[in-house]
Amino acid sequence: MRRLIGAIVALWLVCDIGSARAWPVGDPHGPYADPGISDNEIVIGLFGPESGPLRNFGFDPMGAAQMWYEMVNKAGGIWGRKIRLVIEDDKCDPTTLNGVARKLVTVDKVFLLNGGSCTPAAVSAQEYVTREKVPFVMLNAAGDNALFPPTRYVFGAFGGTQFTVGGTLFDFVAKQLHVKTAAYFGNDDDFGSANLAAAKFMAEKRGVKLVAIERVPTNIVDVTAPMLRIRQANPDVVVVTSYPQPATLAMQKMSEFAFSMPIVFAVQSVPNPAGLVKNVGNLAAFKDFYYGSPLNDLTDGPRQRWVLKMYKEQFPDRTPTAFMSYGLPSAQAITYALLMAGPNPTRESFIDAMSHLKFDTGVLAGPIEFGPDKRDGHNASIFIKFDGTNSERMPGVYVNEYRSEK
Amino acid sequence: MGLLAQALASGVVTGAIYALIALSLVIVYKSTDVINFAGGDVLMASCYVALLALISAGLPYWASALAAVGAAAVIGAGFDRLVLERIGRSVRGQDVLVAMVTATIGLSYVLKGAVRLLSVSSEVRSLPSQFLGPPIILGSVILLRQDIGILATAAITGAALFAFYRFTRLGRGMRAVAEDPRAAALIGIPIVRMRMLSWAVACAVAAVAGLLVAPKILMTPDMGIIVILAFAAAVIGGFTNFPGVVIGGLLLGIIENLVACTSRRKRSRWRRSSSSWWC
Repeated sequence: MRRLIGAIVALWLVCDIGSARAWPVGDPHGPYADPGISDNEIVIGLFGPESGPLRNFGFDPMGAAQMWYEMVNKAGGIWGRKIRLVIEDDKCDPTTLNGVARKLVTVDKVFLLNGGSCTPAAVSAQEYVTREKVPFVMLNAAGDNALFPPTRYVFGAFGGTQFTVGGTLFDFVAKQLHVKTAAYFGNDDDFGSANLAAAKFMAEKRGVKLVAIERVPTNIVDVTAPMLRIRQANPDVVVVTSYPQPATLAMQKMSEFAFSMPIVFAVQSVPNPAGLVKNVGNLAAFKDFYYGSPLNDLTDGPRQRWVLKMYKEQFPDRTPTAFMSYGLPSAQAITYALLMAGPNPTRESFIDAMSHLKFDTGVLAGPIEFGPDKRDGHNASIFIKFDGTNSERMPGVYVNEYRSEK
Repeated sequence: MGLLAQALASGVVTGAIYALIALSLVIVYKSTDVINFAGGDVLMASCYVALLALISAGLPYWASALAAVGAAAVIGAGFDRLVLERIGRSVRGQDVLVAMVTATIGLSYVLKGAVRLLSVSSEVRSLPSQFLGPPIILGSVILLRQDIGILATAAITGAALFAFYRFTRLGRGMRAVAEDPRAAALIGIPIVRMRMLSWAVACAVAAVAGLLVAPKILMTPDMGIIVILAFAAAVIGGFTNFPGVVIGGLLLGIIENLVACTSRRKRSRWRRSSSSWWC
């Protein structure tokens, strides 16, 4: 019954996104079992990289989350309570993030944590929040290692995990490009291992033979040997999932060796497609080039315009980056779960509500869906064909069917 | 076999990059006995100076390159004059070298931190290559003109430095300061100026290396990590021998490529007997 009510409330909210009359006004009253909640407000700790080299991953997503909370407050808050944010900079650094989480919980006494844009930093807070029983909803970090196996207090992967990235790539190359063989180029770290596990699973499931698997260190300066092996394997498609620098080196080398097969990049490999073209310096290399995205459209496409409009209204002086929309879904999930938890929520009832959440964000390729044993929210990607100048969304939404065996 | 030849050719080019950077380390070491751990980050910072000059100031490439080389020389000379010289005056005995080497690590962090403040450093960037044109194809080996340019520059720079230190008065003066500063001072060689000049020349060579390699290895604030491989090349080459360092760099690049090509295939040969031994 509770799930049914929750689903109805969530559905009603989704239909009314952005509407000022969407949010019910209750009659909240104490005493309250947990810190961070009073008759008038709920305190949320929002954090991400506001400075440092990885600032781009979090600054705009934090802004998107802020604008969502602001919109909810303007509509009357949740059950009559306004959301008050305590904002901190974690620099995408595990030590800093842990310090920030402790400060938010013990000094600012927040009700829940919403933050983390980088997986290693976000994952490092898992032990602390579990011990303190504080809900931790990641902002836009993939957070694979904190989500598999699932633990009660940590939710994440609003942009998808590396399982999602690896799995959806092979769903795409099989269904859309109809390839029979593929070469894989990825990182040799945990991030890459997770990606490759799902890639292998989906390749086998879709009947694509992996004829070359090349994994490289993240600071590699010469990719000649792995690209020579890929050339020798003569695959129907090359799938690249490494970080941007090795991916760009690989693209340069593929251009140099005049690879003629399709090339498909993961979302993390190409944060700025125009920048990739400049660095490769050869437009011909992009004649059959695709990249994945967890969003439901091109960043300036019609299905993303409502977010861009909302962001410009909230922050007229800022120019949003491609990562901006990634910050919205976690804030949406938190507000929906707070609503479903009723007029007098506790941290535990909030967790229960989160565990039954399923909704369409309006910005992501697939729905956000959690479960009692499922803490990774998003599992779909779209793919974009990019010829070096123009971008075109490919038809379909691609899903990953791999689940970790951890 | 064709792929083996390609791996060899690419290894030579990669090795030339290591050799160029190693040369800048050796200049400092030969002249001051200090191992410069900031060498990679001087290279990185000078690349960003060139990038800013290109895209922000709108300067042509040659002017941007000159600005980068000049900036690197100023960084080197300034670091010696403002930091190392003071350390030399205030620290006595064997500790002075430790303090100076530690200071180079400090310089490395300062440069990296400064570059990270720039908005252009938030994504992977590159500098335009000055060796354009279609690749040269020799059988199954593809040679980019950029790679040939890197090779030629490394060879010319190595030869020029060798000649400078062997045949010029200034170069011999720098060597004398490195070998015995007290004796050098007694015969009238201006030690302070020689050391400053050595740092300026070394950092300028690092900048030249950066300008050449940036189109090939791409630019990030962490690109200075390549200095680790340059250290290896310098050690192989003897650390004080310019031609030796160039050979050390080339060897390292070739071995790196061949090992990467062969080791993986060797393992897979056990699994798939149809695979060839070489990449």
